[in-house]
Amino acid sequence: MSKSALTITGLSKSFGGLEVIDNVSFKVPKGSKMALIGPNGAGKTTVFNLLTGVYPIDSGTIELDGVDITHIPARHRITKGLSRSFQNIRLMPHLSAIENVMLGQHSRARSLLHQLFPLGLLPRNRWAAQARRALNDAGLTEYPGQIVADLPYGIQKRIEIVRAIVSEPSVLLLDEPAAGLNEAETEDLLILLRKVSAQGVSILVVEHDMNFVRNLCDNVVVLNFGRKIFDGTPDQVHLDPDVREAFLGSDQDEPVASDQAPVQGDSNVT
Amino acid sequence: MSGELEGLLVILSLNTIYAYGVFLAATSGQLNLGAAGFVTLGAYASAYFTNGFDGFGFSLALGIPIAVIIVGILAFLVSFPILRTRGVYMVLATYALAEVVAGVIINTEAVGGAAGMPVDIFVPYYFVVASAVLVSLICFYLMSTRFGLAMRSIHDDENVAILFGVNARMVRVWAFTLGAIILAFGGALYGHHYSYIETQSFNVLLSIYILLYVLLGGTQTAWGPIVGALFFTFVPELFRFLGGVTGERWIEEGRFVAFGLLIVLVMVFRPEGVITRTMVEKVFSRKSREQEAAE
Amino acid sequence: MNIFLQQVVNGLMLGGLYVMVAVAFTLIVGMLNFLNFTIPALFMLAAVMTWAAMAGGFGGGVDDVIVAVLGADNRWIAGAIIAVVVVTLASLVIERFTYRYTKTKYGDATEHALPLVSSLGFLIFFEHLVISIWGSDALTVESPFVHASFYISSIQFSVPQTISLGLSLIIVFLLSFMLQKTKLGRALRSIAEKPDTAMLMGIDVGKIVPIVYVIAGLLCAIAGILFTLNYTIVDAYVGDRVATIAIAGMVLGGLGNVWGAILGGLLIGLLEVLSIYFLGASTVKISIWGLLLLVLIIRPTGLFGHTSIGKGKF
Repeated sequence: MSKSALTITGLSKSFGGLEVIDNVSFKVPKGSKMALIGPNGAGKTTVFNLLTGVYPIDSGTIELDGVDITHIPARHRITKGLSRSFQNIRLMPHLSAIENVMLGQHSRARSLLHQLFPLGLLPRNRWAAQARRALNDAGLTEYPGQIVADLPYGIQKRIEIVRAIVSEPSVLLLDEPAAGLNEAETEDLLILLRKVSAQGVSILVVEHDMNFVRNLCDNVVVLNFGRKIFDGTPDQVHLDPDVREAFLGSDQDEPVASDQAPVQGDSNVT
Repeated sequence: MSGELEGLLVILSLNTIYAYGVFLAATSGQLNLGAAGFVTLGAYASAYFTNGFDGFGFSLALGIPIAVIIVGILAFLVSFPILRTRGVYMVLATYALAEVVAGVIINTEAVGGAAGMPVDIFVPYYFVVASAVLVSLICFYLMSTRFGLAMRSIHDDENVAILFGVNARMVRVWAFTLGAIILAFGGALYGHHYSYIETQSFNVLLSIYILLYVLLGGTQTAWGPIVGALFFTFVPELFRFLGGVTGERWIEEGRFVAFGLLIVLVMVFRPEGVITRTMVEKVFSRKSREQEAAE
Repeated sequence: MNIFLQQVVNGLMLGGLYVMVAVAFTLIVGMLNFLNFTIPALFMLAAVMTWAAMAGGFGGGVDDVIVAVLGADNRWIAGAIIAVVVVTLASLVIERFTYRYTKTKYGDATEHALPLVSSLGFLIFFEHLVISIWGSDALTVESPFVHASFYISSIQFSVPQTISLGLSLIIVFLLSFMLQKTKLGRALRSIAEKPDTAMLMGIDVGKIVPIVYVIAGLLCAIAGILFTLNYTIVDAYVGDRVATIAIAGMVLGGLGNVWGAILGGLLIGLLEVLSIYFLGASTVKISIWGLLLLVLIIRPTGLFGHTSIGKGKF
């Protein structure tokens, strides 16, 4: 049995009396690529927010690489190895692409010496070089110095993912990374994520694009109304009766459909 | 160098230092409407130390740094409760703090109370100018570090910055404290150059002016404060020159009327300030591309 | 004891003026979520306009017209009218250049401060405009009203001040009534709570926001007129001194809450006068702003305010 990178046990959360996440448990095996799917409002982004510490949980535990991070404050979780991207782009609009990526390195550069090193004055420093390399690996070669607010949506989305990757996490949480990307960009993203996974990073993606999920992921967890209703492989997911019922009659196409326009995900954002 | 030019350089230098004091907080998303409070504290504390008391006095080289550091410690302590406030509340809290400082000084006879106090040791103009250059360099340096990156990240999206490991609270505390130290330094220089200080020299209007010309110059890069200080120092001087020629009070006051109007217009048409990150990027990347082409 | 009560009365009288300015502030903070620093300027404009009409500040020609129409003793009426007109016009201009631009592009921390910064720009503009015309020294006037007073058990009540207090309270109660019971009031409150929803419900935000500015302006105007009539000394910086203290009253009462502003205004007036009497005039800054600082740190919502107002906004 491979070790688990991320173990979630009995996760529960209510907002003002409304139970949003109900006793969710699953494991992300080390080095695997897992998808977290479900209809709108199922609670997927909420799970991410709970994992990263944006909201405190009501009950349950979160274990990262065997370490209990349930009560660790949000800003320390990234140093433990948990990094994420966001459903709606959350880059720093006034910073350049490379600066945004360098923010991702912050958790590995927390010492006073690192904080006071004049990165901007010595452009050939290793942090900038690493950030530029990371952008190149993702196919974003032309944009390092540009202020991100002016860049196209697809580019911004990928910069966000690169930012999450450079923190060298052990678990990477990606919230709808393929949403709004065209076919070529989606293909580039798949290549990038496979590369990242090959380096030992475990990946958990929230996605609606089932083609993407089938191409990337080994496992799928399905949420509906805050509860886990399926935990298995991408091949089996469309056969499961609970899953079919969850998706039937909603605005979502069933998981079988391969051509999905990206749909507005959960309304719970950070 | 003519006396008048010297005088202008001193004013520009002081305005620049004040600007950087407010800039550090502003670039991390905090508006300080009480800058005058720290300027006052710096002026009075340093004057108190260098004038000497009970026959014991500090030299300039000791008195100013010690005073400024003490103000820094005070600012550090005060920043914790104040920076828990946000938005409207923070603006009001910094405003209130400056008024309390003024109030305390007015009631402290040891420093002359409302009448003010003379400052014995004199600091020549080139010292003030050199100090302004030093402060600018320090701020350029700070903005180029990860600390600067953290400050600007907090400005743009504090919650996400936290998720990437930035200790937002401490960054804001340090930005505020360093800003206060710079403001105090400016106050100390003011006192030792003009040889007399009173709370009226550092009133509410000063706080407002400083904040306004920092925002006018732009808070995204370290170039902004210089531009803001230049605007505030020289455009009004143009009016004063006209006023001197025609002798009408209207034109003399007109410089502030124009400044107020300018602020309103800038907020409408260029709210990020004159100097933006994008602009700096364009200027410098064009330079480096030209350099590469030349090679 | 009587001296103490006299000071209390004086404080409440002063507070009556603060009440109106505090309500003006709180309306704009509550409805539009920003701190409108032009309010001190509007107060000052009204005070100065009133003075000018009464003391010939408008220059020979205008002054003669006023005296001819109203008589020398009633020049204050012209002052009041001019003050109201000037302030209303100013409010509309200010609205045009401040609130319209709160739609932020990136929503970052200092962008929310735009209207506040614009309002500071206007404050400087108006203050120096007045100084250019009339100078920065004190402007005094003989008010026809100052000397009337009556006594209740040896405590002196100045007639004009009592009328002012009464007027302030009546106006503010009317305003509060309007907010609660009328259609306009309901529209205003829904804008305050959820501006986007209000638009969807068909409320013409674009027309109503200027109304809010004008109402706030009128409150300041009346306060300014009454100030000149009661205290007879004004100057270009009177707004900074008087109206900013009203801000403290507003915060004390709670941002966005009209009743809070009433109570806060009265309390601050009381605090100011009692400080001066018991501790000396020079301690006023410490008492008032020290109190404000404490309130902001310990209980920023004040006595009655909502927690949502002002958070993250300017």
